[in-house]
Amino acid sequence: MRRNSRRTERLRLRFRLRKIVSSPISTLVFFLTLALTLPCLSFAGHLEPFKSVPIPKNNSQTPEKIELGKKLFFDRRLSGDGTMSCATCHVPEQGYADGQDISQSYPTTRNWRNSQTLYNVGMYKSLFHDGRVKTLEEQALFPMMSAFEMNQNLDFVEEEIRVVPEYLEAFKKVFGGEPTRERIAMAIAAFERTIVSLNAPYDKYLKGDVNALSGDAKKGLDIFKGKGKCIECHHGPNLSDDKYYALNVPENLALADDPRVTATMRFVAKVYHYPNYRDLKEDPGRYLITKKQGDWKAFRTPTVREVSRTGPYMHNGVFASLDEVIEFFNSGGGKGNRYLKPLGLSADEKKELKAFLVDALSGEELKITYPDVP
Amino acid sequence: MAAGPVVKKIMDTYKGKVRLIIKNYPYKYRDYSHIAAEASLAAADQGKYWEMHNLLLKNSPKLDRESLVTYAKELGLDLKIFTAAIDSKKHAAEIERDKKLAFDRDLYNTPTYFINGRKVVGNRSYEYLKQIIEEELKSAKK
Repeated sequence: MRRNSRRTERLRLRFRLRKIVSSPISTLVFFLTLALTLPCLSFAGHLEPFKSVPIPKNNSQTPEKIELGKKLFFDRRLSGDGTMSCATCHVPEQGYADGQDISQSYPTTRNWRNSQTLYNVGMYKSLFHDGRVKTLEEQALFPMMSAFEMNQNLDFVEEEIRVVPEYLEAFKKVFGGEPTRERIAMAIAAFERTIVSLNAPYDKYLKGDVNALSGDAKKGLDIFKGKGKCIECHHGPNLSDDKYYALNVPENLALADDPRVTATMRFVAKVYHYPNYRDLKEDPGRYLITKKQGDWKAFRTPTVREVSRTGPYMHNGVFASLDEVIEFFNSGGGKGNRYLKPLGLSADEKKELKAFLVDALSGEELKITYPDVP
Repeated sequence: MAAGPVVKKIMDTYKGKVRLIIKNYPYKYRDYSHIAAEASLAAADQGKYWEMHNLLLKNSPKLDRESLVTYAKELGLDLKIFTAAIDSKKHAAEIERDKKLAFDRDLYNTPTYFINGRKVVGNRSYEYLKQIIEEELKSAKK
């Protein structure tokens, strides 16, 4: 009797569960609950090949504009003392980063963050490690104005560009008018949208070429999607979710006790109205922009496309190699972070994950013809 | 991280295998950068280049003439020869030649390294430079 009633109960339960799962509303509730419990895992946690960079309606791409932007990108007039161009920190041969832990700085000053690669930069929804702007057109002017980057005055740079006949002619042709800071930024943004990672083995694989990845890279991709949980934040065509996480990356000791870095940190905090900016001891990350406690020390997920060419890694360049990065994630991230847990990857799995990152995500060499800056 | 200690460590590691040539690039908007370059070369005349280099970095931006003489004294240099060199700008032609070389090669950032022609801009770690040197030594053996 008792056995029969238990069986009936089990059947009832199975029926109820089947009903719940087959109901569209409860399925939605189930997935919503899942999404809420896994902060990184959104519905877009999928992989897709690169297709194209979105072009804003108000800044169409033309060959002339791209060429003008390229000239400006390499032009040292954009810095106060004529020693820095955008290319000083975004060097084509260094994966459009600069290969240093902390970005190259305006003479006599010192930057405090790592120079990010410009590969696929046109695909981000926000820019800078702290996501302070939404478009490349807004972004381009920031380093020019920054005291520890290019330290230029925008009124002055407009005049410097206007006295160059070749530029006057080019701006007239491209924009139908003379150089302004907005047009300078638009041209640079147009050039930057051409810096893309193309035809990586990973893209070919996703498009159906099963032989595009080596055995190790295929296993690495499985780890990327599965045990390594990389996909939770690195997904979509740019392999970034454009969100911000405080992973509590270790401090870069090379920055400690450098009064120039202290000055930079205080300056940025002051600009963003951080009340006790002189007491600041660490980079507050996204918090400076939003003032939300949850954004304290949070930084935007970077793309991992071309990652083998764009080290050192993290917002402060504290990791020189991909091995160190993988170890950081494998050990559950920085102390006290609420996003990562130890992954338990074996030595072979770490090797395979690295094979995927290096072999699969490196596209064809992006050839660049250096412009004749007038 | 200053370039000097890293370069010195590289030279110690690769004694006899690597030749170091230093070019001056005094920053144009610093009052004392030229006289500091003179001071380092005047110290080199007396065999104390690195010692002076380290003192200049340690005490920057306090690099006025009086301070430089103090550093020379600290290093036990012959002050008469040292002050005569910096006051007469003994090495000015050499410094100008280095600046022109940088200008001609479109170089604006310090430090900039050329390792067998491979250009590396900005401060780098010992490991970073070591790897390039190893690669260059390997290809030189072929």
